[in-house]
Amino acid sequence: MPKKVLVVDDDPDVRLFNSSVVQELGFISVEAGNGEEGRQMVAQEIPDLIILDVMMPLQSGIRLYRALKTDAAFANIPVIILSGISQRSFNKSQEALTAFEGSDIPAPEAYIEKPADFETLAAQIKNCIHRK
Amino acid sequence: MTIIKKMLFASRFQELTFDALESLLDLRAVGLDHVVFLYVVERDKVAMHRGIGYQKSEEVKLKEVANIHFIEWAEQLFEQGMEVGVHIVVGTLVQQVVRATDMEKVDLIVIGRPTRGLLEQLVSGSDISALIRRTRVPILVYKQQPLEAVEKAYPFKRPLLATDWSPAAAKAQDYLMNLKGLVEEINIIHVGKDKALNSLSAMDVQRYRKTHREKLRAICDRFEKEGIKARSHLYVGDPYQEIERAAREWRASVIVTGCSGKGTWRERIIGSVPRFLAEKSDLSSLIVPHGGGA
Repeated sequence: MPKKVLVVDDDPDVRLFNSSVVQELGFISVEAGNGEEGRQMVAQEIPDLIILDVMMPLQSGIRLYRALKTDAAFANIPVIILSGISQRSFNKSQEALTAFEGSDIPAPEAYIEKPADFETLAAQIKNCIHRK
Repeated sequence: MTIIKKMLFASRFQELTFDALESLLDLRAVGLDHVVFLYVVERDKVAMHRGIGYQKSEEVKLKEVANIHFIEWAEQLFEQGMEVGVHIVVGTLVQQVVRATDMEKVDLIVIGRPTRGLLEQLVSGSDISALIRRTRVPILVYKQQPLEAVEKAYPFKRPLLATDWSPAAAKAQDYLMNLKGLVEEINIIHVGKDKALNSLSAMDVQRYRKTHREKLRAICDRFEKEGIKARSHLYVGDPYQEIERAAREWRASVIVTGCSGKGTWRERIIGSVPRFLAEKSDLSSLIVPHGGGA
């Protein structure tokens, strides 16, 4: 059974690119257009990997990532963050939320600043899937 | 009490900068946790042209430029532990503000000064009138202070509440009451129409003054009971001009009005007081629709 990768991004062009990289590697891709939809898709599809944008309507990737990592059912799914938001800001935001909410969460498996090129994204996808 | 958890910030960058956004972050004291950015690429900028067709590359370019601005702003907010969302879309401002408001279920809409021309307004009404008609969410029309202004403007610090004793004005009053952590001092004004007063005897004018001052005093008492310093003012004349004058005299940070939201043909052509203030005044104005807000 081929592995399944969930692509969460509000930009249809980015979703198309990410999905084509996933399919090129022989995996199945499923897509969501915002954080809320992404959350539903995770529960529904139980993907082997998530490629997650940060700045999206309804729920950001920051909050979705946090929700996943604090839920025992999904905490082990590897996540690649693919965003225009810098890794530094992502980390600082998680630190601020940890200070407020108390629960510490691990760093994502990979962080790529947009735009991603085919080779970099493909290498990170393979790496995360095989590590799992 | 959480009354503003989510705020829609519709910016065209020229009229609303990060400074404006920053000045609104004191709303965190009343629950603000989520800012949704909206940028609308006006349809005519990318519309079909003979020989060119739909300008897809122009759309992509404009969206990317907007994205660069929003990434900068979002990083600042994310780092403070806030939640941020973004909509960058093609369409008309009013249509897209309403769409994002409904989709995101925001508690406050922040927009810059409307820029539609007179002819356009006569044909299709003003953006403000259209927004008031189509949403029940309070609208803050933010007028950016000059960049050289030394003191940062905090819109909710010294509001001027204009009341005409309508249910909508009472709603605006309740709305401000819920912002008590932010409001330091409030000025409350009622403007009597001089035409109506002209036909009264001297005694009746005095009675009019006494009645309205007592009503204003009662509102002040409500605010003072909540620990907000309050002053009342009774002015006479054209409501738009007098409210604007009072706002300057009492150094208001924002003018607050209630609005029924029942836009009429008369209003479309002549205009309502909240709409005039939103469009013409150099001061920010908050319009609380009757039935909207907390």
